[in-house]
Amino acid sequence: MSTETESVEVEFVPERGFNPIHFVVHILIFAVLIGVWETANRLSWVDPLLFPRPSGIVEGMYSIFIGKGGIWPHLGNTFGKAMGGFAIGTLIGMALATGAAVSAGFRDYLKPYIIIIEAMPRIAVGPIFIAALGFGWSSAVALAALVCFFAPFVNTMTGLLQVDEETEELFRSLGASKREIFFKLRVPNAMPLIAAGVKLAVAGAFAGALVAEFISATTGLGVLMRRYVMTLNMEFSFATLLSITFFGFLLFRTMEAINYRVIYWHAEPLMQKRSRRLASRWESTMDAVAVNQSAAVAPGAVK
Amino acid sequence: MTTAPTVEQLAPTRTAKVLKASLKHIITFGLIIFVWEILGRTGQLNRLILPWPSLIGAQLLDLFFISGKIYFHFFTTLAEAVIGFFIGVSIGISLAVGAAFSPRFRRYIAPYAVVFNVTPGIAVAPMIIAWFGFGWSSKIALAALVCFFPPFVNTLTALMRTDEDATDLFRSLGASKREYFWKLQLPNAIPLIFAGLKLALTGALLGTIVAEFFSASAGVGILMQRFAFALQIDGSFATLLTMSAMGLMLFTLMEVLDYRLVFWKRDSRMDSVSKKRAARWRSRHGAIEVS
Repeated sequence: MSTETESVEVEFVPERGFNPIHFVVHILIFAVLIGVWETANRLSWVDPLLFPRPSGIVEGMYSIFIGKGGIWPHLGNTFGKAMGGFAIGTLIGMALATGAAVSAGFRDYLKPYIIIIEAMPRIAVGPIFIAALGFGWSSAVALAALVCFFAPFVNTMTGLLQVDEETEELFRSLGASKREIFFKLRVPNAMPLIAAGVKLAVAGAFAGALVAEFISATTGLGVLMRRYVMTLNMEFSFATLLSITFFGFLLFRTMEAINYRVIYWHAEPLMQKRSRRLASRWESTMDAVAVNQSAAVAPGAVK
Repeated sequence: MTTAPTVEQLAPTRTAKVLKASLKHIITFGLIIFVWEILGRTGQLNRLILPWPSLIGAQLLDLFFISGKIYFHFFTTLAEAVIGFFIGVSIGISLAVGAAFSPRFRRYIAPYAVVFNVTPGIAVAPMIIAWFGFGWSSKIALAALVCFFPPFVNTLTALMRTDEDATDLFRSLGASKREYFWKLQLPNAIPLIFAGLKLALTGALLGTIVAEFFSASAGVGILMQRFAFALQIDGSFATLLTMSAMGLMLFTLMEVLDYRLVFWKRDSRMDSVSKKRAARWRSRHGAIEVS
């Protein structure tokens, strides 16, 4: 049975460019949606207790962020857990993947366990972690790490293994060592896929930390949200959800910006900038060489 | 790595090869289990944190054969996940088809799709419970919500990404819009759609189990939580293994479906299907000639 662990990276790319008419229509659609929701709530077409009105949600946001400011400690807490888990999970995933990519034997032995871990709903380990590690931050970090380890693993391994054969042949015929092939061919080649895996891992870590908090914890956005819902304080829970969305978006954007910088050879303007810099550096060293040579020809003339 | 080829390696039969390959896995696996068990029996492991294999095995035996209480929970979760999967996938795919055909529709749902993409669907779990109650409907709703996105994005991307040369060919041969969709766009999109479905299946299972963690009266999620809160960690490990088996089963089913349906992606399947079709065509042709 060949369960090839294929990694699919598809993104929803919105249109580029700014069109004022489209923008106005976007705003109109959004306003109509919000308006219908608000009226439905005010006239009690829907249960106002379960589906709070948008203005109430805005008030809730104001309250938790600025008024009472109750969200900040929880936000920091969840953020810290997610990032800790993300760092641990990504490091483990990438290390395992590098080992698996370098050694065919290791890859072979690792494969059955990876298939099982892939099929397992990883978040479901939550209760076990909480029983084993307690209600504090360590169980949330562990769950976040477990959830997010997989995407970087698969993508790193796939990326390192998937090398253009002709390029590899070129490297070999130019007498590149194994290490050079790894660092100058395989790693740069794998970077875009690895970055995609890391991006998925950020989302996974966030979800893992949230679920651990949902199950049981003392601080964190998950606890906050659960508390609000259990007391039927839906305005506040919607406000919390919106802030989760907002910070998720922020994280996502940050990752994309980092990708753009690090994987400069996929972004045209950055590539040009960097190659210009390299070229000028090269030219300046050549100038120095030329100067030295002229100095050798005519000693004392330059000094 | 390279050893001198023996006679066996030069002409290995298929079964011998499979046997040999699995043997070393079995040996490693046995070794791990053995060491784990020894560590447990000699008191190196805390039973409340990491129970050893024989304890987990005993729990599995109890759950499946002696008390048999897993079946009720197992099938509840399975049914909830599968229903949620179908709802989520049909919504996702129909939205994607709509978006693929109408640029306007695509433009105006784009912001909402982006928002959807960055919100962890699981975070909505408490609200879903508040809206749909503690019964099975909340599990189905969360499963559908979590698994809706991958089929949506994959279908949309796949439908939009059609080879330009093939499109030109279809147009120059005078294909109608309908033919273009059914004979080029759709077959072209199916492999990616299937990849989305596979992701969605895992997502549906996950959504169901997380919803069960919140509050439920049946399902493997609540079973596991009960075990964990009673500090019967061996029981929760057994449940976890059951969940893995469920995931693996669903995943394999999807792979088989993928293998059967998307026959043009793999050469061997392509050969066998085209051979079958040729034989059918020939027999029909022969029948015509005879008559």
